[in-house]
Amino acid sequence: MPGSRTHLSRRDALRLGGLAVPAFALAGCAGASAGSHGGLLRVAQSADPKTLDPHKQGDMTSMNVLINVFDTLTTRGADNTLAPGLATAWESPDPLTWRFHLRPGVRFHNGEPCDARAVEFSIDRLLDPATKSPIVELRYVTKATAVDELTVDLHTSQPDPIIPAKVSLFGGVVVPPRYLAEVGDAGFARHPVGTGPFTFVDFQRDHQLRLRANPSHWRGAPAVRELVFLPMPDPSSALASLQSDEVDLVANLTPDAALQIEGYRGVSIRNHPGIRTSYLSLDTTDGPLADVRVRRALNHAVDVPLLIEAVLDGKAREVPTMIPRESFGFDPAVTPFTRDVGLAKRLLAEAGYPDGFDTTLTAQATDANTAEAISGLLARAGVRARVSLLDPGTYSGRLTSDNRRALGPMYLAASTGWTLDGQSLVQSNVRHDRRQSRWTSAEADRLVDAEELTIPPAQRQRAFTELQQLLKREAPFVFLYQIDTIYAVNDRPRWEPGVVGVLAMASATVPA
Amino acid sequence: MTAPAVTAARAPAAGTGLLRAVATKVLSAVVVLFFVATAAFFLVRLSGDPVKLILPPDATAEQEATLRASLGLDRPLIAQYLDYLAGLPRLDLGNSLVYDQPVADVLLTRVPATVELAAAALAVALVIAIPAGTFAALRRGRAGDSGVMAGVLVGQSMPAFWVGILLILVFAVRLQWLPASGYGGISHLVLPAITLALYSVAVIARLLRSSLIDVLGSDFIRTARAKGLGTGGVVFGHSLRNASLPVVTVIGLEVGTLLGGAILTERVFSWPGIGRLTVEAIANRDFPLVQAAVLFFAATFVVVNLLVDLSYTVLDPRVRVK
Repeated sequence: MPGSRTHLSRRDALRLGGLAVPAFALAGCAGASAGSHGGLLRVAQSADPKTLDPHKQGDMTSMNVLINVFDTLTTRGADNTLAPGLATAWESPDPLTWRFHLRPGVRFHNGEPCDARAVEFSIDRLLDPATKSPIVELRYVTKATAVDELTVDLHTSQPDPIIPAKVSLFGGVVVPPRYLAEVGDAGFARHPVGTGPFTFVDFQRDHQLRLRANPSHWRGAPAVRELVFLPMPDPSSALASLQSDEVDLVANLTPDAALQIEGYRGVSIRNHPGIRTSYLSLDTTDGPLADVRVRRALNHAVDVPLLIEAVLDGKAREVPTMIPRESFGFDPAVTPFTRDVGLAKRLLAEAGYPDGFDTTLTAQATDANTAEAISGLLARAGVRARVSLLDPGTYSGRLTSDNRRALGPMYLAASTGWTLDGQSLVQSNVRHDRRQSRWTSAEADRLVDAEELTIPPAQRQRAFTELQQLLKREAPFVFLYQIDTIYAVNDRPRWEPGVVGVLAMASATVPA
Repeated sequence: MTAPAVTAARAPAAGTGLLRAVATKVLSAVVVLFFVATAAFFLVRLSGDPVKLILPPDATAEQEATLRASLGLDRPLIAQYLDYLAGLPRLDLGNSLVYDQPVADVLLTRVPATVELAAAALAVALVIAIPAGTFAALRRGRAGDSGVMAGVLVGQSMPAFWVGILLILVFAVRLQWLPASGYGGISHLVLPAITLALYSVAVIARLLRSSLIDVLGSDFIRTARAKGLGTGGVVFGHSLRNASLPVVTVIGLEVGTLLGGAILTERVFSWPGIGRLTVEAIANRDFPLVQAAVLFFAATFVVVNLLVDLSYTVLDPRVRVK
């Protein structure tokens, strides 16, 4: 019968289809675990770079990739001190000028020379509003001028003592003028050309970005021959990929994500000192927080060492104020508050709050655990802080809004001062006229001006020392901790991150 | 669900009727897309200021104003809206605020991975759901029926992020048969396709079961059985095709969901699909990209629905134009 024949063949087709699925699955197994990958280093972080045009990105995730393709004028040495990069030396001939002497003989990956004209072009491109650059550190730079082939001046509208530190990442990247003229902005973002230790190979967004060692880099060829960045938004699956040998290093883990993998064979968790510094911002304009005794009480109540141990698995260090240890300006003579709930209660009673008070603690949803723990520590002293969690977008919108009370009386904030200068930690939130400031102190304003506008380091250190003493005395914040840089590796790579935690892989080694 | 197609296809004049029906559908699709485009434009702007997310928190107000102006976000809303509408017919959807690239390019590079995963998931879903639904219908009320239906319900109830991690732990970490995540050969496709298929399996199998039970109880099946036709003949020769009409509608909707709703699966498996792109775009307040993604999802649903309607004429001779 013709009818039944068709049915039979349809059924056969179905049956074949059913067989095909497991067959494909089995065929795929062969490729799952790669055998040898000599010289290959696969790094997973939470996302891809936003763009490969270094002037059009301003976030650490993008910089983590681009620092391997591009060099910056200055860089950080193994001891975290400022070290020569594309510039071998720098000085400030007058308070409104920084002069950089460039390394001779450096060439871009396309052979174009990296000279003073390239630096001039790069800085001016960054400052041009048409570039739409999100890089904000060079806000006082007005222009760059090439003095001769290997000397370039950066001119500023007001003295900026930390320009050399500010050109150690984002704003210090040098791009090739001739290549950009040839291929245009879009072409440059598709195939970036820098002077860095790795050259660009290809990029499939949300899949992988491949780089190859640059044998003619001025520092010499990196030990890693092929460097691959993989975007893995989910830490659990990134760690699974590490265990199944698809990734060699998973970067930027949170302490609780790292805990998931502790104890697995062949995989280890590394934590290195980091500089991301957390604190609570207090609205000192009115209410209980206007009273310095209350603010000190909160600092005595929040047992930071316990918080670090219980919530952050010990992977953080207590800070006396908001300036991390490795930053210029940190004064070890200023010590953290003693943790003493009894003292906190006495101070609250003196201020007229023997039964504590009710308040709100706002935080990003990603910091929920920390915020809840802080709320619990405050409750011991009788301060009932209701935790209010916001998505990161809403949080950052309110953080920088004109309404300084948009995040409520108390909020959890964190800042990565990658310039390794105290200035970066206090620039937006201490001087009374800055957007995130919720405290008015003529003394603080004077000290911020002193560290921001004077060039000699010794004078700046004095200002920072006084400022930290003042911050501790007046307690306009609750000072918390600087968190470690945490990553997970299999047994192949050897790599030590700097304190900034940027994923510069030129110093990494893997078995050949 | 089936009503419009049936009325349209039953229009008197044969070929022109079908043409007119298709033309009406296309026209209404354009109207739908216009409203979706408008809603997307205004709704996404309620989410906040993208400049606040592009710049670090220590940017000054002047730096924000400069960037806002160079992105054109300081212009009157209505001017931005008219520009956006003017670009739509040319498929000029603007530049991504974050990637500084035409959004059409950003979106189109994700289509292959999205389609690949959706197709694989649908294939897995059908391969499991059709036999499961048929089996359950034939064993109606018996242990086999309850077992199969309970099984698919469990599949439906487990969230994708959990199933995904579980599959990764077993097949990638423990057994090392398949890669844990990423995009590449067919081996990368297996785990995400299974994860994504589980939900659809339940939807399709349950509907097929009830639809088949209806058909199996009808007069013509009794006649077929009376003729002495065996179960196989009854099911494959007479019932499945008749029971497939509502199932095809639901499969159509599932295709739309699979193309757009794989967000969790894409995240767990680091799959470079449109769902993940859209979530990131929303988090970044990348207005043009969110608008384009919403339009893409809407267009997908409209096209799939149109195809479903047309498929009725193939599946059901009664709908076919005489």
